[in-house]
Amino acid sequence: MNDELRGTGNGEGETPRGSAPVANSGSPVPRSPFPVSSSPFPIPRFLRNLTRHPVRNGLALAGIAVTTAMLLNMVLLAGGMERSFAQLLLGRGYQIRLSPKGTLPFDTEATIPGIGRIRAAIAQDPAVGSVAPLAGSSLYGRRADSLVTLFGYGIDPAHQALYRLERGADLLPGDTTGLLLSEPAAQLLGATIGDTVTLVSRLDPQVVVAGSTRRLVARGVVRWLYDYKGQPSIGTALPVLQDLAGFRAEDRGSAIVVRVNQDEEVEPTTARLRAAFPRLEVNSVADLLVHFRERLVYFRQLSFILGSISLVVTVLLVATLMTITVNERRGEIATLRAIGMSRGRVIRGVMLEGAAMTLIGGALGALLGTATAHYLDQILTSFPGLPAAISFFVPHTASLVVAGLVLTMAGVLAGVYPAWLAARAPIATTLRTEAT
Amino acid sequence: MSAAVLVASELRKDYPMNGETVHALQGASLAINAGEYVAIVGPSGSGKSTLLQLLGGIDTASGGSVQLAGTRLESLSDRELTRVRLTKLGFIFQRFHLLPVLTAQENVELPMSEAGVRRDERRARASELLSYVGLANRAGHRATQLSGGEMQRVAIARALANKPAVILADEPTGELDAKTGRGILDLFRRLSLDGVTLVVVTHDERLAAEAGRVVHMLDGRIVDDTSRVGSGGQLAGGKV
Repeated sequence: MNDELRGTGNGEGETPRGSAPVANSGSPVPRSPFPVSSSPFPIPRFLRNLTRHPVRNGLALAGIAVTTAMLLNMVLLAGGMERSFAQLLLGRGYQIRLSPKGTLPFDTEATIPGIGRIRAAIAQDPAVGSVAPLAGSSLYGRRADSLVTLFGYGIDPAHQALYRLERGADLLPGDTTGLLLSEPAAQLLGATIGDTVTLVSRLDPQVVVAGSTRRLVARGVVRWLYDYKGQPSIGTALPVLQDLAGFRAEDRGSAIVVRVNQDEEVEPTTARLRAAFPRLEVNSVADLLVHFRERLVYFRQLSFILGSISLVVTVLLVATLMTITVNERRGEIATLRAIGMSRGRVIRGVMLEGAAMTLIGGALGALLGTATAHYLDQILTSFPGLPAAISFFVPHTASLVVAGLVLTMAGVLAGVYPAWLAARAPIATTLRTEAT
Repeated sequence: MSAAVLVASELRKDYPMNGETVHALQGASLAINAGEYVAIVGPSGSGKSTLLQLLGGIDTASGGSVQLAGTRLESLSDRELTRVRLTKLGFIFQRFHLLPVLTAQENVELPMSEAGVRRDERRARASELLSYVGLANRAGHRATQLSGGEMQRVAIARALANKPAVILADEPTGELDAKTGRGILDLFRRLSLDGVTLVVVTHDERLAAEAGRVVHMLDGRIVDDTSRVGSGGQLAGGKV
């Protein structure tokens, strides 16, 4: 500062005059009972401003939290099901599926004849590590004097791709008397591990009698990966299921899954298999995801539209509130400008306040969104025909980071107009208006 | 005699109102010396506050000039003018305009923070200033927890924060009752005795009576300019 402006006669160690510097005369000054916080992290002013109208700001934060929760749900939903499906398909490490032409695995009741021969041919490919033939068919289980409908899987215990053992024992290769049950099947049949279960083949529609009956011992309880919620499913060795389903004569199966040793060999192997078996549908997991994505295109569009709407609502909410706030504080802002606060500082303060409001509301929204995603997931995964292991709302770090950044940008953007309003307010006029 | 620190030459201020031009100031000239205690008085609409705002660089004149320590305020950019207001002028307003979310201490620290004064330094000075205005025991209270008189004292301490060349006060007792106003009056008297240059716009006759120099305004013109004590206008017993 210009020394000339400081007054005169300030000696070394003397409190500068012209700066009202002398101690209060008279009685000693009492110490403050409310000392200023000495915290190294004092609460910034823009955050304290949020406490001015607690009810109003609380309601605004609740609004932001709701829109953010919606945004979060839409972000999770947009790619969640696809990611979940990919995880499901690769859950047992099999990257290629072969199914009857024009179908996806277990999508229809169509079957593949000569599945053992095809399996043997595929196993010759040097890139292939494991080949698992599968059969699926509905059948019956006997419970007391009635029959209950079940879904049966035929598997090769040495190369299985369909389940995870939950308790009991797995089937061993060559075990033609063992049975695996899903929890719903065990409950439906009233069976536990070690019990003998009678399975009855599908009724012959011509004579309405059962084709064959097998008595098998329950070895374990498993979770079938592609079952829908509550589906009563059982699994046996492939030949047993083929007998029960009437597939044995032509050695029929529903699908073949293939595990390739090296990930980079998946696409070339898929292409080779496609060429070798032109009458079959050959898909890698990537191909299946393309099919899946096509089916989910409406989901993605809906997510994008609703997510965008929630962002716009957030911006409007914050902008409206900050505009009201700035208009209420016109006198205060004019005073700050009068006493030397720069336009930049005023703009920064307003924009920081808007961003802080968005981020606090966003944090609350993240909690709310997580809870609602969990709740909605439970509802959606209970829809019939959907694998229970599929999740609609799957967190993805990159998507969440992008959503967080977009939300922050939206908060800053929402502060632009009110900040401009604050910065351009004429000081003198505002002070004059405030004084009257 | 001290040198003039603030000089207004032929200041004019016109502004439109309802399609007509209002001549708020019509060629006001004034030179204020360092350490002077000047009261600007006059009826409502006489141009007192307008003059003060032009002297403080918070409004632009339609004509004439203002020089603060030799610097013409009209020649400065908005950024430079803001810096001048921050470092060379102190403002006190009728309605105090403290930040309600800050404590008294933090309100006083605010201009120093803006000026880039180190934290420990500004804390020490804010404490010193609050002691000076008799509010050391209220330093940690939020502005909303203070009475009108206390808020005005904090505003005075805030105005003194960056050791300004001139303090400009617009109706500093306008919102206060007689008893509280008396306390502010005493404080202004002390400021003057301690050599602070004060320019006060007021309707308060007691406040005007305290000043060493009284400038009377009427219809946008200075009609009388009287120094009571000495040529400089400081109060008797002043330290300048």
